[in-house]
Parts: sequence; C-alpha cells; structure tokens
Amino acid sequence: MENRKVKLAVEGVSKTFRVKGGKFQDDFLLHVLRRLSFEVYEGEIVSLIGESGCGKTTLLRIVQGLIRRDAGVIRVDGQPVTKPARDRGFVFQQANLLPWRTARANVEFGLELQGVSAKERSEKAQSLLELVGLGQAGEQFPHQLSGGMQQRINLARALAINPAILLMDEPFSALDAQTREVLQREMLRIQAETRKTVLFVTHDLDEAIYVSNRVIVLGAKPGRIKEIIEIPFGYPRAELPELRGDPRFQEIRRHMWNLIRNKPEGEASAAA
Amino acid sequence: MANIASSPSGATPDPKQVNAEAGVDANQIEDINLEQPKSYLWVVRLISVVTIMSAWEILGRRVDPLFMSYPSAIAVAAMDMIKSGELITGLISSLSTLVYAFVLASALGIVIGLLIGRYKLVDVSTDWLVNALYTTPQVAIIPLVILWFGLGGNAKIFIVSVSTIFPVLINTTAGVRNVPSQLIDVGTAFEANERQIFMKVIAPSALPYVMTGIRLGLGRAIIGMVVAEFFTAITGLGAIIVKYGNQYDTASMFVPIFVLMFLGVSLSALVKRAEHWIAPWKETENT
Ligand SMILES: Nc1ncnc2c1ncn2[C@@H]1O[C@H](COP(=O)(O)OP(=O)(O)OP(=O)(O)O)[C@@H](O)[C@H]1O
Ligand SMILES: [Mg+2]
Repeated sequence: MENRKVKLAVEGVSKTFRVKGGKFQDDFLLHVLRRLSFEVYEGEIVSLIGESGCGKTTLLRIVQGLIRRDAGVIRVDGQPVTKPARDRGFVFQQANLLPWRTARANVEFGLELQGVSAKERSEKAQSLLELVGLGQAGEQFPHQLSGGMQQRINLARALAINPAILLMDEPFSALDAQTREVLQREMLRIQAETRKTVLFVTHDLDEAIYVSNRVIVLGAKPGRIKEIIEIPFGYPRAELPELRGDPRFQEIRRHMWNLIRNKPEGEASAAA
Repeated sequence: MANIASSPSGATPDPKQVNAEAGVDANQIEDINLEQPKSYLWVVRLISVVTIMSAWEILGRRVDPLFMSYPSAIAVAAMDMIKSGELITGLISSLSTLVYAFVLASALGIVIGLLIGRYKLVDVSTDWLVNALYTTPQVAIIPLVILWFGLGGNAKIFIVSVSTIFPVLINTTAGVRNVPSQLIDVGTAFEANERQIFMKVIAPSALPYVMTGIRLGLGRAIIGMVVAEFFTAITGLGAIIVKYGNQYDTASMFVPIFVLMFLGVSLSALVKRAEHWIAPWKETENT
C-alpha cells in the first residue's frame, strides 16, 4: 500500500460475558476477547477469520459501538469512539432489513434518521440501488426479494450514510456459492470505486484470501490474534477460480487452516 | 390461465441479472392458482346458506311464534322497524357510543401497551393491575358502574372502553416484546435515538400485533355495548331487544340481533382490510 494512514485502531480490547450456568453448573465468566490489538489502514480490506465462537461478531459489534468493551480503546482517525456514528457502517450477517419498508426505504433508513431531506434521500438511494445492481427493485418489500438481493440492500443501506469504514459480519455466508462469488466481486468493485476501509468477518478461507489485503487469524477462548497474514495478490483481483489455481493461494490456505486447527505446520494437510 | 405457461420461462433465476419483474410474475402465478378454488368454495357456502335458511323457515313455522321465529317473519318485522325509524335510531345510538368508546380505548391501549412493552419499570408497576382487571368479568362490575355513572351514556362508554382496552393493550405489549432484537440493533447501528427507535422500529414492528388486538377488542366492545344497553341506558339495539323480549314479540326481537351480527362481521372485516392496508408487508405472509 502506498498510503499507510491508520484508519481504524483496535487497542487492547477485552470482553468477558457472564454466562448463566443453569441447572447443572454455576454461572461462569466467558472470556471472549483478551487484549486484542490491530490496525487497519485507510482503503484497506482486512478480514477476521477464526473458528465459530472465537468472538468475531463480538469484536465487530464493539467496534461499531453496539456493545461495550471491558477494556481497551477503539480509534477512528486517532480519535477514541464508543458509540455508533456515521463514520462506520454495519453490514449485518442476516440482512435484517426492516420488513415494513420497501428496498428503497430501507436504503434511506440511515439518512432519514439523520434528517436528510426526502428528495436528497431518494436520489441517493436510487444511485445506491443502481450501484448494487438493483435499480429496478426499489419498490419491492424485503419478503419479495431473494436472499442475495436482500444482502445487496443490506450493503446499500450501510453505504448510504457514506461511512469511511465498513464493518461486514459474514455478509455472504448465508448465500449459495454462486451468488456469494458474484457479491464478493461486487463488493470488491464497490470498494475500489469508493475507497472504503473494510473490516470483514468471515469463516470462509477462500473468501478471506480472495477479498483481503490482510487476514487476521484469531484463536479461541479467549479470542486473540494468532497471526496476521499479508495476501500477496494485487487489485483488481483475478476471479476466484483462477486465483485458486495459484500455488501461493493454496499455500496460504493450508497455512491458515493449520493455524485455525491448532496443528503444527506440515503435520496434516486435510485442507487441501 | 394462458400466461401460466409463458411466465416461468421469463422468470428463470439468473443470479447475475436478478430483475424486479421476476418477483411480480411469481405473484401472478400464485393468484391464478388461488382464484379457482376460491369461487368454488363460495358456491358451496351459498348452497349451505340457502339450505339452512329454508330448513329454518319450514321448521320455524311449525313452532309456537312465542319461542321461535322464522326468516320471512323476521324480514317483515325488520321492514316495519325500518319504516318506523326505530331500528335506525337504535343503530345510530349504539354505533356512536361504540365508535367513540372504541377509538378512545384503542388509542389509550396502544399508548399504555407500548410503554409497558418497552419499559420494565412501567411493566412491573402495572402488570398485576392489568391482570386483575383483565380477568374480572365485566358484567360483575356493572352495578358499580351504575353507581358511579348512573344509567346514562357515560356508563355505556365506560363499559365499552373497559371491554376494548385490555385486548388492545395486551397485544400491543406482546408486539413490542416480539420486536426482533436484531432490528433494534439496526436502529442503534444507524445512530437512532430512543424516540426514533420507538417510532421507526418498535411501533411499525408491533403494528400487526396491535391490529390483532384491535380486532379482538372490537368483538369485545360489541359484547360490552349490548350488555351495557341491557342494564343501563334504555337506548340502542340492546334496548330494542329487551323491549320486544318483554312484549313477547320474538320476530321483532330477532331483528336487532341480526343487525348486531351483521355489525360484528362487517366491522371486523373492515379492520382486517385496514390491517392489509396498514401492514402490506404482512399480506403474503398472512394469506
Ligand atoms: N450477549 C452474550 N452473552 C453471553 N455470551 C455471549 C454473548 N454474545 C456472544 N457470547 C458468546 O461469546 C462467544 C463469541 O461469540 P461471537 O458471536 O462473537 O462468535 P463468532 O466468532 O462471531 O462466531 P460465529 O463464527 O459462529 O459467528 C460465544 O461463545 C458466544 O456464546
Ligand atoms: Mg458471528
């Protein structure tokens, strides 16, 4: 990267949940994140990857300000942040569209909350609907849209407030492989166009390698960074099937798999 | 029927070119499939109505008119009551009380229900009262209501309001409690303040529950109205029933009963309509 300005900094973030033990055990403390630190540069796409339950969603929600952290600081452009603000847009794992709003009105939601005028909102929404390839679907209600279309609206809704940072929580994991690849490409195209900084959660190794500048591999219990991996491929990226043919891709993939599986290098290559 | 064959070919799913028309086509096919069985069912229903009404007519004529009447006699009595203006006066009297009290109680029920559902403090300070009042049979408090308000219109308004408010309130509360937390997260993530969360997330999300509450409340409001008219004000449809009951004029007594039946059916159909109109996103989920 030619531009190495730190856009988002996560400094020593910890989070512990109190979990109800129920009938058979006492309540206990679950240390989900322990003193996690990393930085994301401006215009960079960084993926968080790690086994289920290692705290990826929790971390993303802390960065957005949806839940409080127990320790540490989140900085945007060097300034500490604790609450949601228009500098960060959140793309939810389930689309979570408001079912009583049309696709267009869903895209307008954030702007409406900010008190933007109706005319400006609808212009903005239309251009975003077109950006995500749904220029015709603005008047449909969410239940009339396919899963892939809903995810596009989910993305457009986050883009509408024009955040400098996009936080994306497994946005494509609920989709079929084909649609997922289409949307991954779309996301890369939109990111190249808008130069957003992206923090992207996934548990799909291929997806992480395909979209990211760097991949942060998290370990579980408590969540901590195992390794940060630089992805050597430039942008615009070759298509995923082509990239898979690259031996470096397979090498990185195997390495990540072993990290997640806690296996020493070279012992097993079940991933390949 | 003809475009069934042509539509699917136009709506082949293509992830790269998902277009708006695909969704519209799919809906049309659904409608066409539904249409036929519907009209068929209506014919069956009509046959059933005609059969039962004729049976009633034939059997009813054999019974002492003091105990039972039959459709043609009721129709004659209805004509007389319409001509004399008695029925219209009674209907207007009942309906105005009903609408006034119902609207008032619904509005109150919605506001209180929203507050109880959203704020734990309001909930714990009122839940015992709501439960106690809700489970008290309304008829049991009528003597007390008469003591408070006398036999005039206010007693009627009070009884109808009490009948309406609880279903509305309880359903509204349930609606607020059932707002998916993910949707509240969406509001929070986009910087909504408490008022915006309330107005733009919680209220619309709870709306279908509120409408159900209103429909249930309406049924209870009509019961409340008739009961009130039996015991208090000597006006309205309830009073007409009592009057002809006392005169042993069974045919005439049936007339306001039918009007009440018709009122109940058409008002709840109206609310159902309003539900579809207010909450169009629920349409395909409901039907
Ligand atoms: N509100 C909460 N109360 C108690 N425990 C919680 C809460 N939220 C999350 N957890 C726990 O914290 C851990 C991390 O959850 P999180 O959702 O962040 O995982 P994740 O890495 O996103 O997993 P996945 O890949 O399955 O989405 C889990 O064990 C979960 O049970
Ligand atoms: Mg998660």
